[in-house]
Amino acid sequence: MADFVIVGGGLGGATAAATLRDRGFDGRVLLIGAEPMPPYERPPLSKEYLRGESDHRFVRPPEWYEDNDVETRFGVRVERLDVRDRVVQLEGDERIPFDQALIATGSRNRRFPWPGLDLPGVYDLRFAPDADAIRDATRTGRKAVLVGMGFIGAEVAASLRMLGLDVTVVEFMSTPLERVLGPELGRAIEALHRDHGVEMIFRDAAERFEGEGRFEALITREGRRIEGDFAVVGVGVEPVTEVVGEGVPVDDGIPVDATLRTAVEGVWAIGDVARHDHPVFGSIRVEHFDNAMKMGETAAANMLGADEVFDDAHWFWSDQYDAQIQMAGFATEWDDMVVRGSVEERSFSAFLLKEGQLLSTFSMNRRFDVRRSMPLISARAHPDRELLADPELDLRRLHPPKG
Amino acid sequence: MAEWVQVGSAGEVDDGEVTNYSVGERQIAIANIDGDLHAFDDVCTHQQCSLAEGDLDGTLIECPCHGSRFDVTTGEAVNGPAVDPLDVFEVREQDGELQVLMDE
Repeated sequence: MADFVIVGGGLGGATAAATLRDRGFDGRVLLIGAEPMPPYERPPLSKEYLRGESDHRFVRPPEWYEDNDVETRFGVRVERLDVRDRVVQLEGDERIPFDQALIATGSRNRRFPWPGLDLPGVYDLRFAPDADAIRDATRTGRKAVLVGMGFIGAEVAASLRMLGLDVTVVEFMSTPLERVLGPELGRAIEALHRDHGVEMIFRDAAERFEGEGRFEALITREGRRIEGDFAVVGVGVEPVTEVVGEGVPVDDGIPVDATLRTAVEGVWAIGDVARHDHPVFGSIRVEHFDNAMKMGETAAANMLGADEVFDDAHWFWSDQYDAQIQMAGFATEWDDMVVRGSVEERSFSAFLLKEGQLLSTFSMNRRFDVRRSMPLISARAHPDRELLADPELDLRRLHPPKG
Repeated sequence: MAEWVQVGSAGEVDDGEVTNYSVGERQIAIANIDGDLHAFDDVCTHQQCSLAEGDLDGTLIECPCHGSRFDVTTGEAVNGPAVDPLDVFEVREQDGELQVLMDE
């Protein structure tokens, strides 16, 4: 009998295990991860790790788990999480009863049924071995063809250019990152990549991958033929929900309440897989590092009875070339955008507002604005446009009084 | 053998401010919190960003790169992604100098 079983050996699951021990819990904790490696940070896989500048950074040192009496099963898949009988079934039919469970299974890359997707030389990026394979391809390849220009596509494009490869990207929308940032900010990302020599083709999409035994060219829906030495596909992710048995509803992820609890008492979900009820943004599912980590902390506290509401304003970063990009909050639509600084000089922040309420802040090379805006987002503030637009104004001056 | 090393002038770190100093090979930061000085490693243990460029919130400093937070009085990593603590140093103002106690 495990007191707590954590299904998923990524950042969220490992952070939850660490938080349980940090808070003095001394019962049996079992952490199960499908990957053979102890939990590691994924953000470097498209950046410094892909460029060969850094080794893996583990969420906790590999020996931490044994030192802290956290049982691990790395490289083991969960067949079924049975919340009725409170048993987790592992591949190979091992069954382990539990008292409470935390689902931290994350997401997987979306795969469309494109012919040739399985050709050698067509990669996607999620796990460390994927990054290793792309890194290997850069040693002999000179030209890369990328499909999709969300964050993964944009970061991979930047890293490959930094390694000196030619890069062509095909993106379905009319700018990079348009779904997240809208076309105006998307064009700022486009300009960044254009100035670094990335060839970008918008409003077109993959049709099939061609090659004699190995990738040679991407054929697009508009009939383009784009040749390259290898291809990298980055067209979004989907939550990994199928291990969850009857009793836990699934609806674009696993719905959880504001305390990260699923519909079932004692069963919790965090990270990419969790669709949580946020006090400011409503029902959202977030696929970023900081969210998984902070949810791991909150869920662990709540498994121990803390009853904390998860109300983080959400924040993430992306490094592309020498541009440091950050974003906080969550906005799918906005009716006003206020910019401070200079978009042309790539030192600016953009505040996304709806009916005057600040929902989200994006910045490029302005280190302070995004994080300083988070208390405003959490407080549903309606900040003055002129103050937002003033690059000299420290946003902390607009914060609501503490306590 | 520990030794007091001059890094600047007394009074030059204002209340609420954090300043970076080079001491030999090391980068350290000195924060002034309500008139008390605190000296600590300026290099975030996560990905080596300069903490002196981050924001102070009480005794916590937040890394501007990836959001790790450290207690500058103890060096403890309070919030991830950083796990390892910072080194902290004794600091004093004496004879018009700003001094830090460094191991040789």
